[in-house]
Amino acid sequence: MSRSLPYFFVAFAAGCLMAVMTHLNAVTAFYGSPMFASWVGHGAGTIAAIIILAVLYLIRPKDTASEPKPRAPWWAYLGGVSGAATVITASLAVNSPLALSGAIALGLGGQVLFSLAADQWGFFGLAARKLDRRDLLTVAFILAGSLLVILAGAQA
Amino acid sequence: MIQAILFAVTAGVLVGISRQVNGRLSLSTSPMVSSFFNHIVGFAVMCVVAVIVGGLIPPTIRDIPYYAYLAGPFGVIFVAAGSLAITRIGAVNTAVLIIGGQMITGAAMDLAEGVTAAPLLRFSGLALILVGMLLAQGRRA
Repeated sequence: MSRSLPYFFVAFAAGCLMAVMTHLNAVTAFYGSPMFASWVGHGAGTIAAIIILAVLYLIRPKDTASEPKPRAPWWAYLGGVSGAATVITASLAVNSPLALSGAIALGLGGQVLFSLAADQWGFFGLAARKLDRRDLLTVAFILAGSLLVILAGAQA
Repeated sequence: MIQAILFAVTAGVLVGISRQVNGRLSLSTSPMVSSFFNHIVGFAVMCVVAVIVGGLIPPTIRDIPYYAYLAGPFGVIFVAAGSLAITRIGAVNTAVLIIGGQMITGAAMDLAEGVTAAPLLRFSGLALILVGMLLAQGRRA
């Protein structure tokens, strides 16, 4: 059992959460717009984050003399800009001849291609992780499987 | 059509960029702090977008069920989890595991709602995803 296994579970659980979140966002977007869903989602998320951080601060263990961490570059605070921009490009793609399933499939493709490049060369201050044949095989299986699931969904 | 394809692919790339940047911030702070900044900065950007586009508050706002607002808090956990995972198992593994979890849960939710079209396509797709996820975690470090 590898030490990194728990983090695979974390990522998988995040994906499960993402599916529920997407569904809830779609409910909000149905009564309003994708813009409103994203605006209210980021707002409610900010409040939730403050509450969680406050709780974490209150229950923090005493005297944790952790070693000082490297300072974050200024752009590291701007991940939210990219997240907000996603909403705009995604809704433009969905309201096009591609329709929802096509937009999702191409979006997954874009995300995976970027991740491959990011691991190979180490983008945005994260360590490079040289790709091997297993990575490419993994990506091929996940993308092919996702395409089939999306196709099945489009037939519903 | 070319334009629509570009929009869709860009949306995916932006998801990857945001996870990478949030991951970098979490190295210097923590995944939760990183998620907080992701949301507050995203909220500020969406406020600007709303002012430019206009018509933010939908007239049917009262029809939105309260549970739908849970998307925001779920998003906070999602971003924190992504920031934690990407710094430990890398961008590819994080992306494929998230996509796998999303597809499997999405299909389960469809089934629960009685959507049973194309079962063969759906289950062979899910099987491929499972194989991919097992492959991903089988790699040493």
